Amino acid sequence: MKVVKIGLSFVITLVLIYALNRSWNFGSPIPPLGKFLNPFEGFWQNAETKDVRSETLTLSGLKDDVIIHYDSLLIPHIYAKHDADLYMAQGYITARNRLWQMEFQTHAAAGRISEIIGPAALDYDRTQRRRGMVFAAENSLRVMEADPIAKAMVSQYTQGINQYIASLQYKDLPLEYKLLDYEPELWTNLKCGLLLKNMALTLNSGDKDLEMTNALQLFDKALIDLVWPDDERVGDPIVDNPGGWNFNPITLDSVPLALPDELVTVKPLEKSPPDVGSNNWAVSGAKTHNKAPILCNDPHLNLTLPSIWYVVHLQSPSVNVMGASLPGAPAVISGFNDSIAWGVTNAQRDLVDWYKIEFKDATLREYRSDSVWKDSRQVVEKLLVKGGEPVWDTVTYTHHGPVLYDQRFHGDHEMKHYALRWIAHDPSEEILTFYKLNRGRNHADYMEALNHFSSPAQNFAFASTNGDIAMRIQGKYPVRRKEEGKYILDGTRSSTEWQAFIPNEQNVMQVNPSRGFVSSANQFPVDSTYPYYINATSYEAYRNRRINKLLHEMSDITPRDMMELQFDTYNLKAEESLPTFLNYLDTAGFTVAQKSAYLILKSWDYENSVDSEGASYYEAWWDALFPMIWDEIKNSKVALDYPTTYTTIKLIKENPELVFFDMVDTPEKETAREVVQLAFVKGVEAIETWKVEQKKEPRWADFKDTFIGHLLQGLPAFSYHVQHGGNHDIVNASSRRHGPSWRMVVSLEKPVRAWGVYPGGQSGNPGSPYYNSMLDFWADGKYYTFQFSAEPGALKDRLATLTLKPANP
Amino acid sequence: MKFLIHVIATVMIGFVLQSFLPWWTMAVGAFTVAYLLGNKGLPSFVAGFCGVALLWVGMAFYIDALTHSILTEKINRLLPLNAFVLTLLVGGMVGGFASLTGALLKGKS
Repeated sequence: MKVVKIGLSFVITLVLIYALNRSWNFGSPIPPLGKFLNPFEGFWQNAETKDVRSETLTLSGLKDDVIIHYDSLLIPHIYAKHDADLYMAQGYITARNRLWQMEFQTHAAAGRISEIIGPAALDYDRTQRRRGMVFAAENSLRVMEADPIAKAMVSQYTQGINQYIASLQYKDLPLEYKLLDYEPELWTNLKCGLLLKNMALTLNSGDKDLEMTNALQLFDKALIDLVWPDDERVGDPIVDNPGGWNFNPITLDSVPLALPDELVTVKPLEKSPPDVGSNNWAVSGAKTHNKAPILCNDPHLNLTLPSIWYVVHLQSPSVNVMGASLPGAPAVISGFNDSIAWGVTNAQRDLVDWYKIEFKDATLREYRSDSVWKDSRQVVEKLLVKGGEPVWDTVTYTHHGPVLYDQRFHGDHEMKHYALRWIAHDPSEEILTFYKLNRGRNHADYMEALNHFSSPAQNFAFASTNGDIAMRIQGKYPVRRKEEGKYILDGTRSSTEWQAFIPNEQNVMQVNPSRGFVSSANQFPVDSTYPYYINATSYEAYRNRRINKLLHEMSDITPRDMMELQFDTYNLKAEESLPTFLNYLDTAGFTVAQKSAYLILKSWDYENSVDSEGASYYEAWWDALFPMIWDEIKNSKVALDYPTTYTTIKLIKENPELVFFDMVDTPEKETAREVVQLAFVKGVEAIETWKVEQKKEPRWADFKDTFIGHLLQGLPAFSYHVQHGGNHDIVNASSRRHGPSWRMVVSLEKPVRAWGVYPGGQSGNPGSPYYNSMLDFWADGKYYTFQFSAEPGALKDRLATLTLKPANP
Repeated sequence: MKFLIHVIATVMIGFVLQSFLPWWTMAVGAFTVAYLLGNKGLPSFVAGFCGVALLWVGMAFYIDALTHSILTEKINRLLPLNAFVLTLLVGGMVGGFASLTGALLKGKS
C-alpha cells in the first residue's frame, strides 16, 4: 500500500513537471507554465526598470575596445576604432534590444511563420515562398558578398548578433520566445538580405495588372482613361523640370499589347494599403532663419511595436552618423552626419508584371518562349509546422520569375500559371548605398552612393552643410513602352519582356531648384517632358500639394516650423470635396442627428485635429460614400481596381451623371447627388451607433482610434491606443493603423542639429519602460533633440556605458 | 516547529537551486528536504507547497515592486488567472507533490 502511495505521488510529481515544462494548444496556445511563471527564469525576468547597468563584456573578433554610451532615450552612441568593430557592435547592440522582432520579421519574409504559430500561417508562408522572397534575398546576397565592403559590413553585423544570441539563457530570452515557446536560431547574412527584400515587398510590390486587364474587357478605353488615368495631373510632380531632360533616352520598338482573353477571377494578392506613403523635403538656406538648409523626413508605415526603426549613433574614424536604422540591417537608413542629411519616401512606380505562361504539360517542366520550349527550374520548399508534420511544396521558376499559383497552390484560380516578374528579384547592393551615404560629405558623394541603389525605389531627399539641396528618384526601372506593364503580359513572346533599364544618370533628379525647396509625398514623379513612360498603382494627390503650398509661402523657416508642418492636420481633400457634398444634400426631412451633423460639418475648419467632431463626421461620410460609388467594383466577380480618392471626388464634382454613380442593387437610377445623400445618412448613422457604444462624443482622436499594435496580431496586452490627429491624405498621415513611423528634422548648420521621434521606443521588450517611451511625445507632435557628437565625453544624460572588449587581446 | 523548518529549508534550498538551474530543480530540493526531515505525509505536502509558493511568489513580488508592475499588468491580460495566483499554484503544486513523495519514501524506509 505504501509503495502504491509513493509511486502515485512520484508519478503525479513527474506528470506535473512534464505538463508544465511544455507548451499546449487548447484553442489558444499556452506557454510552458512552469518555465514561464518561475520568477527566476520565466516572464518575470523580462520586467525591467529605467536603470540600465553599465558593464564590460567581451566579444570575440573585435580588434579593439568599443565604447557604447546609452543616452536617456536608450539610444546607443557607439564609438569604435575600426569599421569592422563598429558594425559588429551595431549588430550586438541592436539584437540586445530587438532580437525577437528581427528574427520574426525575417521569418515572415522567408515564409516561416508556421514554424512559430502553426498551420494557420501556411497559406501566408507558401505565398511568400512562391513570390520568391528567399530567391530575391539570395540574389542580393551574392552581389553583397562579392563586394568586400558590403561583405565585411554584413558579416560583422551578423557576428555581433550571433554573439549576443550565444550569450542567452532561457531567462534572458525576449518575452515573445517564452510566450510562444521557441528559441532564436543563429543569424545569417541572408537574413539581412531578407529584411531589405521585406521592405521591397511592403513598398514596391504593388500592381494592378489583373484588375486593369479585366477593366479593359468590361469597359471601353475612354471610360478607363477617365476613371483610372495614368497621371491625374494634380499639383507639382516631385521634379518639375520641363525641357530639362537633355539626354538620349533608350527607345524600344513598340509591340501590340497582347492580352489573355479570359477574365481573371482570382482575388489579387493583398495590397499595401494606400496610406503607406511618406513625406520628405529639404529647404534651402535662402528660406531658413539660420541660412542653413533644413531636411525633413517622415516615412509612413504600419504602426507596430516593437517599432520598425531603431535609432543609433555610429562613430568610427571613417564615419560619424546618426539616424534611424532597420533592426536586422547594418548602417543608418534615414539620417544625418556632420555634413549631409538624407531621407526617403516611396517612389510610386510599376515594378511588377505578370506573364501568362504556356506550359508543355502538367509537370510544368517546360514552357514556351517564342519558338522553343525552355526548361523551368523547380525548387522544393520544406515548410516546418509547429505542432504538425512538415509540408512540402514545389515552386516552378521561369526566366521571368516564379509561378505563384499552379495546381499545387490555389490551382482553381484562373490566374494559375502566371509568372511574377518583380524588380526585387534582381541582384542588388543597397547596403553599399547606405555605407556611402553614412560617410557622404557632399552632393557628389550622395549621387555616387545612390548609384548602388536598385530596390525598393525611393525618393531620396538630400541637404548638405555647404548649402545644397537635392532630390533623386532612385531605383532600377525597366524602360517601358506606352501602357506596358499596366496589363497582364504574354509570357510566350520574348518581345513583351523587360528589354532595358533606365540608366542611373537618366533617372529623375534635381539639385538646388529655383523654388528653394525639394519635396516628395508619393505623388507623380516628373513633368510630362521626361522621355520615359511612367505608371504606378496610384499617386498621392493631397499631401504633396499642401506641403508645397506651405513651403512656397514660408520664409525665415525655423526647425520648429518644419515640425509643425510634419504635424499639420489640414484636410485638403475635405476642403475640395465637402462644399460640393453639402451642396448636394437635400436638408428637408433631416432627423435631429442629421441636422446636428450638418451644422457641425458646415462650421468645420477642415482640421483633422484631436478634438474635431467635424473631422469624424466627414470621414464617416467619406467611408460610407466611397464603397457606395464603387459598388460595381466591390461586387464584381472579377478583380477590379478601386479608382483613387482624387479621381472619385473629381468625378463627383464634374461628372455626376457617370454610370458608376448608379447603385446596382437599387431600381432607381442614382447620380452623384443621391449617392452623396445616402452616404450622409449612413455616415451619421455610423457615428450615432458609435456614440451609443462608446458613450462619448465623437472627437476625431477617439473616433479614429490610432492603434499601435504589437507584431503578434496586435496582441492587446502589448499594444497601445493613442490620441492623435491627422489621417491618410493629410500631411500628418496617421490613420487608424498607419502613419509616420519616424519623424526627423535636421538643420544643416555647423555643427548639425537634429530632432526626431517615433511611435514606440528603443527597447523591443514589452516589460521595459523604453518599449513605448517615445509614444506620448510622438502623439503630441513633440521631438527629442538628438545628441550627436564625435566626442564620446560630450554626451549628456548618460544612462549607462557598455564597454565591449576583444576576447583575445 | 519541524513544519516551519521544513518550509524554510524548502525556500532556502529552492532559492539556491533556482538561481542556477531550471525551474523543476526546486522539486528535487523539496523532495530532498522532505526526505531528510521525515515529516508525515500531509504536513509535508503543505510544507512543500508553502515553501515553493513562498519562494516563487516572494521573488515575483520583489521583481514586481522593483519594476512598478510594468509587465505584471500586461501578462495579467494574457493569462486566465492573475499572474501571482497562477505562479503560486504552479510552484506550490509541484513543490507539494515533490515534498509528499520525499516524505512518503522516508516513511517507508
